[in-house]
Amino acid sequence: MTLAAAPTGTPAVGPDGPGGTPPGASVPVRLRLRRFRTPSIVLGAAVVALWVLVIAFAGVIAPYDPYAVAGPRLSPPSGEFLLGTDTLGRDVLSRVLHGARLSLPIALATISIAALVGCVIGAVAGFYGGIVDSVLMRLADITMAFPSILLAMAVAAALGPGLTNSFLAIVVVWWPIYARLIRGQILSIKEREYVMSARAIGMSRLTTLRKHVLPHAMTPVLVSATMDLGMIIILVASLSFLGLGALPPSPEWGAMITEGSANFYQWWIAAGPGLAMVTIVLAVNFLGDSLRDVLNVRTRVR
Amino acid sequence: MSPIPLRRARKSRVVARAAAAMAVAIGLAACSSAAPATQERTGIILGRAMDVTTLDISRSLCDTCQIYNAAVYESLLHATPEGELEPLLAEKWEANADNTQFTFTLRADAVFSDGSPVEAKDVVWSWERLKNLAGSPSYFMAGITKVEAPDARTVVATSELPNSAFFNIVSAGYTGIINSDVAAENGATADANAASSDQAEQWFLSNSAGSGQYVLDSYAEGSQLVLKANDKYWGEKPNFTDVTIKEVTDSSAQLQQLQQGDIDVAMQLSFDALGQIENAPNLTTEVVPSPNFVYIALSPGKAGGEALQDPRVREAVRKAIDYTSVIDATVAGNGEKQATGVPNGFEGTEGLPLPEYDPEGAKALLAEAGHGGGLTLQAVFPTFTIYGVNFATMMQSIQQSLGGVGIQLDLQPLEYQAWADRLGEGIPVTAVYFAPDHPDSIQYFQYFGLIEGSVWAERAGVPVNPQQQQLAVAALSQTGAERTASYTELAKLMYNDAIILPVVNPQYLLASSADVTGNNLDITRNLDLTRIKFNAG
Repeated sequence: MTLAAAPTGTPAVGPDGPGGTPPGASVPVRLRLRRFRTPSIVLGAAVVALWVLVIAFAGVIAPYDPYAVAGPRLSPPSGEFLLGTDTLGRDVLSRVLHGARLSLPIALATISIAALVGCVIGAVAGFYGGIVDSVLMRLADITMAFPSILLAMAVAAALGPGLTNSFLAIVVVWWPIYARLIRGQILSIKEREYVMSARAIGMSRLTTLRKHVLPHAMTPVLVSATMDLGMIIILVASLSFLGLGALPPSPEWGAMITEGSANFYQWWIAAGPGLAMVTIVLAVNFLGDSLRDVLNVRTRVR
Repeated sequence: MSPIPLRRARKSRVVARAAAAMAVAIGLAACSSAAPATQERTGIILGRAMDVTTLDISRSLCDTCQIYNAAVYESLLHATPEGELEPLLAEKWEANADNTQFTFTLRADAVFSDGSPVEAKDVVWSWERLKNLAGSPSYFMAGITKVEAPDARTVVATSELPNSAFFNIVSAGYTGIINSDVAAENGATADANAASSDQAEQWFLSNSAGSGQYVLDSYAEGSQLVLKANDKYWGEKPNFTDVTIKEVTDSSAQLQQLQQGDIDVAMQLSFDALGQIENAPNLTTEVVPSPNFVYIALSPGKAGGEALQDPRVREAVRKAIDYTSVIDATVAGNGEKQATGVPNGFEGTEGLPLPEYDPEGAKALLAEAGHGGGLTLQAVFPTFTIYGVNFATMMQSIQQSLGGVGIQLDLQPLEYQAWADRLGEGIPVTAVYFAPDHPDSIQYFQYFGLIEGSVWAERAGVPVNPQQQQLAVAALSQTGAERTASYTELAKLMYNDAIILPVVNPQYLLASSADVTGNNLDITRNLDLTRIKFNAG
């Protein structure tokens, strides 16, 4: 992939015009990473790293068993129970920490699968065009015509409650976003000279798509996925909040907030998972936003 | 409590819940101690999570239905809070010597909401329809072979076997009298094949045809049920011009709305809320004993319940529940244990053993039954709060104590309607609640016992027990101490069956605005609208 390589030889520091630095440009790694060192990326990455540590070591740092009764029920936050206890007397802090093990991996898995499915469909639609494109994109349009939370609720309600089902529901709702995104990218890339050249020297359509088109179309998808991660975390929690996601007694954040809403005056039951969600979602959004700026990806129109 | 499913979009309930949650949030934000306008209030607003699935009196069986049915329809007799019978539509009632024939004389002045007189033919039609619809409340008419109207004011009901409980039974709201002409015009029928040919269920969702103090104004599922005063009412003037039962699903939302004066009565407050409102000057609270109970039901005869076919496993489940913890977690300790599906204090409950938490005993029984290595059961239950008991909390607490003896309970909460649909298919372990419909203990044996026509014998997939059947028949031909002995024997057999495992007999928290007096928990009407009213002036 050399024909379209680096239109200019300048090292890319900051935005450098539409298209960004194509992959494969021979810029030293240290320089290429330097542009990522903005305050919001650093902050976001630090918070995310913190949560990753929590996920890894929840079993060690949680003071109590998240499923077992740890003390008197509905105790307010104290030295013994930093975030208080819930209706059964379980430690809210321990549940929040263990809840990270559910919320984050599920959100990541959801976004990855949705992006994968969306990219495959979008790439096929964009690259082959014609009737394939029309059918796939109308399917995407129909899915996107519904507000995502409503459609996800409908799908989750049809499948029955459970985290696996809410994962499936969100994938069903989310793939068209990536399909549209990648299709747009591919439509513009496939007219580039190096793609035509590849075809002209006899490379098959599929190989061209895989080797020369997709890699150039992925950056916006990655940025978009990072930005969506926060929304997915909230969506997963929303489904659980509505009783369509996590099953009791799992310490899923949304489900914990439901329990908290049933005990209004014991604010700490909902505050713990609420705060956890705020921090992680903010951090992820910081990351996504700054990545978008740094990589100079056009904001997609939804 | 096996409502006939009206397959509606479950989504709407979820949306309603989300909206309710949002309303709570907004409510909190705007939290000011706005006192309800007290001047000349004539309409009352009750806040409760409604378990309504139908408004057809002869198909319904639910706590909210008790309020609705008693407000809109009238039964022949009425049970006082003391459990005595007094006249309502009937002014005289008598039975023959062996309690197989019952003669009622109707009042002359009672009229339906359209002004037409309540006649014997309406009673015949209503009771036949109740029986022939073969719905959840049909068991009230069990054994009644014939209902006749020799003249316009006389009703004669004949029972195949002696039935000393019949007068008590016809004080149940579900036996209320429907205006047969109006209902028949709208697709209702009392024919023998009514179960398939009756087309009126939909009509009853927007119309009522009774002689009660109120008529149905409107019903919006998941939102509210509005009654307005029946201006043709034949008796004492109703206390309100209109009664709104507002769907407020959870206890905290009811608390908020009560404090803000959006509702006058909060019907399902959690005991955890008591501390917040006990001393509020604008609210009235009282904790009263109740005949209600919440139970776990085991269905050995249904898919997934195979392990429960061994009575030792069912007994182990009973022993594995830490009742003190559950009662503490659900009603903050304001409740009692109960032996079997007959509430404490009812005839036949004296001397029954109360369930005891005995994890070691439970483990031993499980090992004996070949489940020493553990056992997994699926528990499907409604996301519901009733009598202050939040089912999700209760089931998690039970899950914990069962986990302690190696029984893994997989919890699956469902929206009420979805759960009601599932109940028909059979659920290995579920959680349900019961409030009495009339003062006689026979209802519990007819509903929970392993006798013919029993709702739970059917749901649990367990065959009729001839001994229980005989005892139930015998009890209805007996009176006094003899009958009490039969009831006690029946209750013991039900205890040994371990199909119905009561978890808590909760006290009831009456909570209302201080402008309201006479808030009550009624044995047949749930909330008796004739006793509650606004303070004068």
